Amino acid sequence: MKRLSPRRADWLITALLAFGTVVWLLAVEGRQGIGRDEAQYMRAGERYWGWFSELGDNLAHGRPGRSLTPSDIDRYWSDNAPDHPVVMKALYGISWRAFHSCSCMGATHGYHPVPIPARHTTLPLFSRDSTAFRFPAILFAALLVGLVYRFARGWLPRAPSAVAAVLTLAQPHFFFHAQIACFDAPIVTMAFAVGFGYWKSLRSPRWGIATGGLFGVALGVKHNAWLIPFFLVAHYLWMRRGDLRARRLTPIPLVFVAMLVLGPLLFFAHWPWLWVAPAARTRAYVLRHLEHEHYNFEYLGYNFNQPPTTAAMKWLRATAPFVETGLTVPVTTLALAAIGAGVLARRRRGAPVDPESEQAEAPTAERPSWLRPGADVDRAPGAFVLFQTLGPMAVLAVPSTPIFGGVKHFLAAMPYLAVMAGIGLAAIGRALREVLTDVRVRWRPAAVMPAALALLVCLPALVETRRSHPDGLGHYNLLAGGFAGGASLGMNRQFWGYSVLPMLPDLDRRVPENRRLYWHDTLSDAISMYKRDGRLSLEVGDTGFGEEGIKRSEIGILFYEKHWTKYEAWFWQYYGTTRPIAVRAREGVPMVTLYERGAR
Amino acid sequence: MTIGVGRRHLMLGAAVAVSLLAVVETTVALVAPSRAPTDADWVAAGAAVRAGFRPGDLIVAAPAWADPILRVQLGDLIPPEIAARMDDDRFARVWEVGQRGAQAPLSPGGTTTVDERFGRLRVRLVERPAEIVNYDFVARWADAQVSRRDASGVVVACTLAGERVICPAPGNNSLHRQLVEVDQKLREALLTEPVAGAAVVIEFPAVPLGRALVIATGLHDTWMRKAARGTVEARLTVGDQTTELPVTSDDSGWTRTRIDTTARAGQTVPVRLEITSAAPSDRFFAFAAEARR
Repeated sequence: MKRLSPRRADWLITALLAFGTVVWLLAVEGRQGIGRDEAQYMRAGERYWGWFSELGDNLAHGRPGRSLTPSDIDRYWSDNAPDHPVVMKALYGISWRAFHSCSCMGATHGYHPVPIPARHTTLPLFSRDSTAFRFPAILFAALLVGLVYRFARGWLPRAPSAVAAVLTLAQPHFFFHAQIACFDAPIVTMAFAVGFGYWKSLRSPRWGIATGGLFGVALGVKHNAWLIPFFLVAHYLWMRRGDLRARRLTPIPLVFVAMLVLGPLLFFAHWPWLWVAPAARTRAYVLRHLEHEHYNFEYLGYNFNQPPTTAAMKWLRATAPFVETGLTVPVTTLALAAIGAGVLARRRRGAPVDPESEQAEAPTAERPSWLRPGADVDRAPGAFVLFQTLGPMAVLAVPSTPIFGGVKHFLAAMPYLAVMAGIGLAAIGRALREVLTDVRVRWRPAAVMPAALALLVCLPALVETRRSHPDGLGHYNLLAGGFAGGASLGMNRQFWGYSVLPMLPDLDRRVPENRRLYWHDTLSDAISMYKRDGRLSLEVGDTGFGEEGIKRSEIGILFYEKHWTKYEAWFWQYYGTTRPIAVRAREGVPMVTLYERGAR
Repeated sequence: MTIGVGRRHLMLGAAVAVSLLAVVETTVALVAPSRAPTDADWVAAGAAVRAGFRPGDLIVAAPAWADPILRVQLGDLIPPEIAARMDDDRFARVWEVGQRGAQAPLSPGGTTTVDERFGRLRVRLVERPAEIVNYDFVARWADAQVSRRDASGVVVACTLAGERVICPAPGNNSLHRQLVEVDQKLREALLTEPVAGAAVVIEFPAVPLGRALVIATGLHDTWMRKAARGTVEARLTVGDQTTELPVTSDDSGWTRTRIDTTARAGQTVPVRLEITSAAPSDRFFAFAAEARR
């Protein structure tokens, strides 16, 4: 049998890791409820598809200009604008159109945001519409896992590189976001892709150009992309600190020029909504995020919904990204990452990250060049990983920055944390191998110990991630004490009203009370999607928002987040009872409560 | 390339430590879900509490986040005025349904007279000396005489209209009894709004005093606390003794003040609360008070 070349073996492993990611996420995403934002992105994605569909018709009739009129563009593309650019939402819409099992002319015909004139011809990969929407996000997660392996392989042997890839996915909070049709995991993929491209561009001009394109795509995924250049520039200046010492100008690298040119161009080109009024709408988009409201978020027992004003609360608030990382990432992963950080810190300039590295860090050229700005210097891999890990966290540590998304706001740090864990594993694995080399003659099973160690360190992350599902947002690690420990520490349990999904069969059975059902934080778009998915009877009602919604209802749910407390008072007041008829809990920690009017 | 012996030993130690950590973390992750109380545990614990329950008893969950599950079993014994109580001091018998070793923050001095386990739950009955309430300002809210006094000293009387006392324009402030949310906890309280350039005066004309008067204050509604930053100042006059209460702000939570009235115990006196604010917009001032024997 022909032996695989090292290059092909790496591609095979990359493909297996990515495929495994897709399989795992597709296998479990159906248990994950549809959150507020996700439901809106699904709706917007389907509407954007409507524009493409109409464009196809207009092209067929030789009048493509009709699809480019301001009114036509706005009819489709003003949905969820100026909130977010449209790369992912458009992909969600296209994926839905391509892969759903169409019953579009049936009872749920009226539940679509755009008219459905006829039954769709599709490749019906998925039985649920929501899965078809989520598929691109899952592919992006798979891409990230593959990229992490490829990136780590530049520095590490295969086993620790694969472990780094696995540990990227096997984090409960990242895993939660990796399977839903939002942007928080896809932007991690793109941020990592840009970082990876930048790293390669330091010694390859081709990657300089390509990274500019990747940055443009990242800008189209989520506004977090604005931060990417800062972390890269920080590394670049550190890497070329010798220029400063020598009082000579640092070359402006091709990669930054490409990012500066291609980034905005691609960003503008990809978003039709901007075309109507480029300056005004770009400004509206930027201001939307620079002036973003501080939504409610629970951290260490406090409900943060505005910037803290006292020194003590500012300090407490500043710890959020670091404490949240410490309490959510599997502890074994953190321990390995700490060892990996130590290895990077002790690395001598010019030395490889790992003795078995494929990449040399020592200079390969005499003179600086803007095309290969990392060729005449040590590329400072430790600083690179440090800035990419701590950069996103540092931004969230600024007390005036909203923290309502918890870990999702700095998820971009996590792949690099996993790479550090891979570096740590490689170091201890090598020590183990060297010791075992001496005893192997006497004890043959010792030969498999390094491989066993690689599997062992993945185990807690995999088990914790499996345990957390589908409530990854409420899961905390060994240090915190799991779901219960997180609740006792006053950490956020959930947001977006997604956690009602396991209660749907019960709600569906409660006829006729469910004709007047108060859904609390479950958005009507999510309810529609549950109905389209066949998980909820079409007759189940929705009494609307807030106090009036509760007044009108016969049964109602309440999601446990600190800031919703007064809604419980309305239940007590209007339903005449403090006694819920059911509580959905995880390991004893309440997530959602169901009240019924007059229940005793 | 090989690494030095010292560093090799360090890394080997790290390998052992990480391996142990991985085993422990995996084991805990597998075992932890089974540490949660089951439905059967809750049913059994609920039945035990119900069997020994007497009117006036307080039932609490420990940790407090388990309270909704507790109320599924025993909510009929925890009406809103108990669930949203001002504090726990008036309860002589407290049933605590605890898990994972947690205990409710009860004041010291009680005796545990029942202590039983029901699977993963522990039921305790703590009996303790309780404070007896002479006068509950929230329950007696209809006794309140409300007025508004402007900067020039002009006083406008407010009138009882159904379930609230309403003051005339331009303030249009009111006083009523409501389940309020202060510091993300529910309280049964009296709710009023401070008025620009005036003092809202709430007087209970005949309060039988005991040894202490306890008043708790706070700002109602997370969204209103987010919307504004103004503070509320309150002054409590018991007979002729005036006390400046702690300033109520977005961050002050539910603040209890205990005023010693031992010298006037047994007397019936007027109690007046004056509320002012330099920035009253979106300020919903909640208070509850009790004269205690």
